[in-house]
Amino acid sequence: MKQRSFSPIAEGPIPLMAPAAVFLAVFFLVPLAYVGWMSISQPVVGLQNFGRLLHSSLFASVLYQTFRTAFLVTALALLFAYPLAYAAANGSKRFATFLLTVVALSFWTSYLVRTYAWMVILGNQGPVTALLTWLGFDPAPKLLFTTFSATLAMSHALIPFMTMSLFSVMKRIDPLYVRAAESLGASPRRAFLAVYLPLSAPGIVNGCTLVFISCLGFYVMPVLLGSPRDQMIAGIIGDQIEQTLDFGLGSAISIVLLGLTLAVYALYNRFFGLDRLWAGGGR
Amino acid sequence: MNPFVRALALLIAFFVAAPMFIVIPMSFSSAASLTFPPPGYTLANYINFFSDPNWTEPLINSVIIGLGTVLVTLCLAIPASFALVRHIFLGRELFNLLIMLPMIVPTIVMALGYYMYFGQLRLVQSYLGVILAHSCIAMPMATLILTAALKGFDRSVERAAMNLGASPFTTFRLVTFPILRPAFTVAGLFAFIASFDEAVIALFISGRDRATLPRQMFNAVRQEADPTISAASSFLFLLVLAGVCVWLAPQFVRRRSGTTRQPLENGATNTAAAAS
Repeated sequence: MKQRSFSPIAEGPIPLMAPAAVFLAVFFLVPLAYVGWMSISQPVVGLQNFGRLLHSSLFASVLYQTFRTAFLVTALALLFAYPLAYAAANGSKRFATFLLTVVALSFWTSYLVRTYAWMVILGNQGPVTALLTWLGFDPAPKLLFTTFSATLAMSHALIPFMTMSLFSVMKRIDPLYVRAAESLGASPRRAFLAVYLPLSAPGIVNGCTLVFISCLGFYVMPVLLGSPRDQMIAGIIGDQIEQTLDFGLGSAISIVLLGLTLAVYALYNRFFGLDRLWAGGGR
Repeated sequence: MNPFVRALALLIAFFVAAPMFIVIPMSFSSAASLTFPPPGYTLANYINFFSDPNWTEPLINSVIIGLGTVLVTLCLAIPASFALVRHIFLGRELFNLLIMLPMIVPTIVMALGYYMYFGQLRLVQSYLGVILAHSCIAMPMATLILTAALKGFDRSVERAAMNLGASPFTTFRLVTFPILRPAFTVAGLFAFIASFDEAVIALFISGRDRATLPRQMFNAVRQEADPTISAASSFLFLLVLAGVCVWLAPQFVRRRSGTTRQPLENGATNTAAAAS
């Protein structure tokens, strides 16, 4: 007997998927491809924009600054998020709710609000400078508009992402494993290092990948809080749009940034499978 | 748990939360500069935020663009999710990748792309341009939420309705839609927030005429001249604070009455985790 289709709103998949596919092709793929086309056609057809980047020591230092900041931010976010996620996954229900509420609060708050908050905290007339002056620094070191302020703010902003990636793996770790290790004579420290830490590794990898990628393309915080002399790659793309109006060069830099981002995704996909990166979140 | 770990977690939680709370006292500050603690207190920043067209217009623009984004995103993402979950077709993986792509490509790259492309199409400085761009950005998250809900949908209720003589459309209207309505609402909410909070694309393509609130805030932070930014920040932060409280409240009530059907932490984590 022939199976009848029970799909209630349409018979085949084509009418269902076509609107989204056409929309994304016209309003996402075309502008993206346009960036690629501009990078090799402005002002004249050829690879000269990429040649300029290759020979630019300024661009080399921007790339260095971008990668250095991304690594540092990822490491700091992991350092802060790991104890937070660990306590949320292993503590009492009440404590876990409290910690995760704090994380959610930060997660949902706009980057611009957090940027403004850091400007107050680290500014010349802010509490940190006052504290440093009181401690005897005269004049107090300049904190705002430095690589320090941008790195601190980005790490703080990305802690929620890292915590969620870690927590979703940690809450599935059976506490019996650690107890078994301890009953076999391992010290709590050894049980953590030899049993718990390796079991939480998938969360570390997921979290670090997400944070690292977000950091590579971060625009708002490095531009508003960072040092104008040590810009990151997204910042100099913005400069090409706003100041120099060199769309060929801006497009070439964008293609480099896109390439770097895709390379990190490809690396992750090669070893772990891309579907796990987002699927890890909560479900 | 080890009391040391507990204390460390509390300390980090303080580090995560405290910086954001500073915007509340700052919003009442009478000083034009970023002085903390404020030398005096006033409501001037709030009065300005809700009366100066430089701030009220971006707020209204952001709401309009956010609602437009919800509409476009849901109209596209709902059918797409049905196709992804209920059908196996040639190019399904490719289609899935296409939908996820806006989450992969850095926003600044798309900002440049839209700036040049919409410039050609005369869509810069218009509601429509920003709505179209934001709908692309909101698609991946909305589709992830909708497909997750659809995977857990028991299709036998649809079969039952159709066996009893309901037409496909009636089945969707009376059975499928009501069951999935919470997922539609959550997906719509995510699309709105994705648009409402988006700063980078809006910064470059919304222009002065259709400036969104994030664009106005970005410029206010950059120029450090307008203290109204403190009231805008405080307003947005209090919205989030209220949202989190509303989310937690029913669970506390349920807990008081003794029936913990759902672990408390789920509310806070699922939303945040789903978005990460």
